[in-house]
Amino acid sequence: MSTPGRARTDERRAIALAAVILLQALTALFFLGDVIADLLHDGALEDIHMWLEAMAAVALIGGVVFLMIELRRVMNRMSLLDRSMRAARGEMAEVIDSFFTDWGLTPSERDVALLVLKGIDNEAIAQLRGTAPGTVRAQCTAIYAKAGVDGRAQLFSVFMEELLASDD
Amino acid sequence: MTEAAATHRERPRAVPAGNVRVWDPLVRLIHWGVVAGVVLNAALLEDDGKAHEVVGYVVLGFVLVRLIWGLVGTTHARFSAFPPNPLAALRHLAGLLRGHRRVHLSHNPAGALMAYNLWATLIGLAATGYMMGTPRYFGMEWVEELHEGLFAWLMISVALHIAAVLLDSWLTRVPLLRAMITGRKRLPPDAGPGR
Repeated sequence: MSTPGRARTDERRAIALAAVILLQALTALFFLGDVIADLLHDGALEDIHMWLEAMAAVALIGGVVFLMIELRRVMNRMSLLDRSMRAARGEMAEVIDSFFTDWGLTPSERDVALLVLKGIDNEAIAQLRGTAPGTVRAQCTAIYAKAGVDGRAQLFSVFMEELLASDD
Repeated sequence: MTEAAATHRERPRAVPAGNVRVWDPLVRLIHWGVVAGVVLNAALLEDDGKAHEVVGYVVLGFVLVRLIWGLVGTTHARFSAFPPNPLAALRHLAGLLRGHRRVHLSHNPAGALMAYNLWATLIGLAATGYMMGTPRYFGMEWVEELHEGLFAWLMISVALHIAAVLLDSWLTRVPLLRAMITGRKRLPPDAGPGR
């Protein structure tokens, strides 16, 4: 998956854009101030020098606004990416849930199965739930039987398959 | 555990949990740029030097860019996300006293007032600083006094701002300082609704 890499590139791009916006805005303000000061002094836009300076100021300001819009677009895309990743996570939780329901797991078996999927070993699960390790082992056996798998590794593969298959 | 599973399912639709992108890089660069400028001008540079003037103008430029960004910028940076509303700010502070802990993604109503106050003060400082250098107002006592008065007010505001950030981070358990560095707010799992 290239998503994390893309997000990091976007992040760097956004920081660079922000720095350029600031720098360019400062120079734009400098030129603008200079033009206004000259105008107040001479009162006319006559010679070519003044025109060029005024044009430069306008072009710089236009550039700043354009970059600001660009930065907003990058930021919007990043938060969209964030949101869709969260949604995907939420969907995965739903998929897991529906499997558990299909298998007819009891509430405590559901909890244990979820902890197993999170990679927590039986002893830690027993501690977390405040039960004996033997109870957790028995619950695991029941879960594997209901799911029709041999053990932990195969339980994982059920969900892996679901993830890979849902690609088409 | 069933509780954790339930929050898992509801989270993506309600207030997003975990790390939420709030401050874009432009907001952060401007924030820390202004901090650097104020520290330079308040403590390190001589008051009547050329460098003091240049730093002052740069800070003014930062504030102006921030104001434009408040109109066209990202969601949480726009003025519409934190309109100036003294009544809402008072309600927010009263709510804190009564133990309400609302988490806001942008500024909270009191923080919003502080942001507007800081911007206005900085613009006032730059304006009076500029006036001191013009022939028309040069040497006029009231301009200088206004500049110094605004500086004193800025220092009071900065102290209040820092104290409020520390207090709010402690009360809501959202590390605000970190949010201004990384751009993300880490919301506690039981954060109440808010914007």
